[in-house]
Amino acid sequence: MTVIVAGAGIVGSACAYFLGQAGAQVHLLDASAPAAEASGAADGAVSVASKRPGPLMTAALSGIALYRELEESGPLSGLFHRRSTFIVAASEDEQKVLETHATALADAGVVITAIAGDDIPRRFPALSRAASLIIEVQGEGHAIGYQVVHRLIAASGATVHRSTPVTRLVPDRSGTRLAGVETPAGFLGADAVVLATGNGSSALLGLADVLTPRKGQLLITERDPALNAAMPGSIMSGRYLLSKGSQKTASAAPAPAGPARGFGLVIDPLRTGQFLIGGTREDHGNKQETDLSAVSRILADAVALVPDLARLRLLRSFAGARAAVRDGLPLVGRLPGLSNAVVATGFEGDGICLGPVMGRAVARLLLDKEPGLDLAPFAPNRFQSSGDAA
Amino acid sequence: MPDITPDTLNLTPDVLIIGGGPAGMSVAIECARAGLVVTLVEQRPRLGGAIFRQPVNGVAPLALAAGPERLKARLFKDFAAQVARIHCVYGALFAGLDADGLAIVEDRQTSRVLPFRPRALVLATGAVEAVLPRPGWTLPGVTTAGGLQVLMKETGRAPQGRVVLAGSGPLLLALAAQLIRLGRPPLAVLEAGDPIRRPGASLALLAHPSLVSEAASYLATIALARVPWHRGAQFERIDPCDQALIVTWRDHKGHLASLAADHVSLHDGLAPNNFGLPAEARGGVKSSAGNPLVIRVGDCREALGAAAAVAGGEATGRNLAAHLLTGGEVIAAEATLARHRSAQHHIARAFAPRRGQELATQLPDDTVICRCEGRTLADLKKLVAESPGLSARELKLNGRFAMGACQGRFCASNAARLLGELSHSADQVPVSALTGQRWPLRPVSIAALAAAVADAPQPGSSTKDDKDIR
Amino acid sequence: MTPATFRWMSQDVPFRPGETIAAALSAAGVVSYGRDQAGAPSRYFCGVGACQCCLVNVDGRPIEACLTLARPGLSVTPLELDHA
Repeated sequence: MTVIVAGAGIVGSACAYFLGQAGAQVHLLDASAPAAEASGAADGAVSVASKRPGPLMTAALSGIALYRELEESGPLSGLFHRRSTFIVAASEDEQKVLETHATALADAGVVITAIAGDDIPRRFPALSRAASLIIEVQGEGHAIGYQVVHRLIAASGATVHRSTPVTRLVPDRSGTRLAGVETPAGFLGADAVVLATGNGSSALLGLADVLTPRKGQLLITERDPALNAAMPGSIMSGRYLLSKGSQKTASAAPAPAGPARGFGLVIDPLRTGQFLIGGTREDHGNKQETDLSAVSRILADAVALVPDLARLRLLRSFAGARAAVRDGLPLVGRLPGLSNAVVATGFEGDGICLGPVMGRAVARLLLDKEPGLDLAPFAPNRFQSSGDAA
Repeated sequence: MPDITPDTLNLTPDVLIIGGGPAGMSVAIECARAGLVVTLVEQRPRLGGAIFRQPVNGVAPLALAAGPERLKARLFKDFAAQVARIHCVYGALFAGLDADGLAIVEDRQTSRVLPFRPRALVLATGAVEAVLPRPGWTLPGVTTAGGLQVLMKETGRAPQGRVVLAGSGPLLLALAAQLIRLGRPPLAVLEAGDPIRRPGASLALLAHPSLVSEAASYLATIALARVPWHRGAQFERIDPCDQALIVTWRDHKGHLASLAADHVSLHDGLAPNNFGLPAEARGGVKSSAGNPLVIRVGDCREALGAAAAVAGGEATGRNLAAHLLTGGEVIAAEATLARHRSAQHHIARAFAPRRGQELATQLPDDTVICRCEGRTLADLKKLVAESPGLSARELKLNGRFAMGACQGRFCASNAARLLGELSHSADQVPVSALTGQRWPLRPVSIAALAAAVADAPQPGSSTKDDKDIR
Repeated sequence: MTPATFRWMSQDVPFRPGETIAAALSAAGVVSYGRDQAGAPSRYFCGVGACQCCLVNVDGRPIEACLTLARPGLSVTPLELDHA
């Protein structure tokens, strides 16, 4: 079987990997190059810590389990950094919301530990004394998107076509199957087609109302092995939960005369000894640039939780555009009316966590196997009844 | 953008100039003469740039050749006449232009980040030295030639011990002459090219008498001090040995030779210091709303030397002032630069390395290419071998080349060149694919960046119902 | 008059007003700055703040020795010694 996988981000690469494992011949196409978009600009969290119970949490738990498996069995060996996520409350309000959230996580079977009082500096020496409660979410990890993509592609045996965007889907005579795709280099035929084209899917599938870019700004500091060692895992500010729970609080700062944007603080100690700090959620796709207003705000929040970060220097800032679906759930499944075409996109900020497990689910769909995951909530045609195309 | 600054500083000058070398000073002089509000940002405590670098108080400046000395005298005199109208911020580093059009400056004196919003942003950041990788280039005691010159010009002292200068280009000769005048002649100058055996290029330089007399004065000084100038020397490696550095090269006949030294200064030419700089918007092009007009002048635009930097800076400064005061096009001083361009072309030809310079086959696999991240030629070769068609961005992300603290200033061009060599690509791999154009251009204090928001108005209330953090 | 000094390891390093830390260390014969946070040898290299090879800790913060003016009584240490 020959399969075209369009989009060499983490979802497409994972799909190519699992198809390759099953003996398929895979052509992996990308408009520019592997991990050039969101997968190369992600925070790398493989996490359920911020999830509410529901299909996304279920998928994320499978996603984490698959990372562990791929880490142990070889393909992702050394790339999945196991560590806990620590959700930190630094005020009474945050603490209340965090307690509720912790109960929900525990009810869903997530292993958590509450840390309070003198245990906080013992367990997390880098943390500000303002922290009153920590919920440690265990069994999570971190993976750098572009490294995962690089490794999966190398292991997939796929033929990579860089600078090869899909410009049109080409149906066969029956109209119920795709014959292949049109690219600037010409027509490319295949037995099946996977579209893991992120924000590029909007134009390709006429999803402009459903799938939109959501920019995020992220920061990388210089190395500090000593401070890194004083952080046993990543930090997520409980203030974010507060804004989720009670709405309309101080967690989102509109850019001057710009679209609204949200801030959710995450600080991840990287294995290089550096720190990754994020980030914003902005409803537009001007992804190239970062702004002082956001960077300053993110760093001020970060220093408030980890004061010693103030002695370091910011090395890089970068931005990427997540592909966000209107209802917050991804689009994964067969394209309506086309039996050999599958779409997998719209993972917003969960692509790194969900990429491998969704790539595997899609590969299995094409191989007529059980996807191993309930894909019904992610059906690509779910917006059709309201008049949207999909 | 909110006003988040010290009260005394005007964050919205007409013209913000980055760099206090000949180009930046010249633009400042012309714009101040025209009555514009000018702010000049310089990372060191004194003006002059690399060429006219001034010593600390109480130290006599190193003598320059006659031509540059005259140019310097005129530049400083003109600047002094306008100095009351030019606001100079010393000890401050340009961190880049952000998405909101703010020119971000880290003021190290006050530990603050200054968000400027000028009408025009003039980049005059000078040149950087190219340094080719060689085994041992990361050892203590090894500097760039320019780095050694900074120390000598600012302190009036030469380093203690034996010095070897190696690489290629006229700067090595200038530096040798300066060492001799400070009473510490270098052991040798190892030059990859052989200007004397390229009579065509050397003769063409006769059309530029000031350059010829400058070169002649250096050569006379070197000859008089009996410092060997080994031309056609293929520099091989530097090895540490006890407290010394053993420098090994292949002479023009192919024989290995070596010297023990305490200091080795490397230099393989000059390139515009344009790492990550925002793109130009000039020639009458209106800048996008709220964003400053961005102009590059001097060596960061095209590395043509001090005379060209002054000529270009003056012409651009006059054009810019006219544009800001009355409208009209901002035109680069192309005509005045043609002559300098031709001179630099002939110099480059004269100093062209005698042997082929394919790095990938010359260097041992364990040669460090990216010093910040400790990445070697072997790492680069492995990536290229396992990923046919590898893009420069993939090389950066997966190989960590240009990902370190220097942001690729000392590895990006070498890594791009090696990628081109190893993938046998006819097209040159653009260095910008490795370096990008994002701020901060330099590592910036997190404390200073975090404080920038403290003075800002409180953010408005949330209008978003965020489903999730990611 | 004795010149002003700053502290480097166990050494008092004299400097003239307006000199950088790197210039004073060079005059004192200090060539190696230890190792940086990635384990690479630190030392003066480009002199203009570009290469990041001369980072030292000044008052517990990493900064370029080639750009930073020496001040009396400063405590300057190699990066690798920082375990604050």
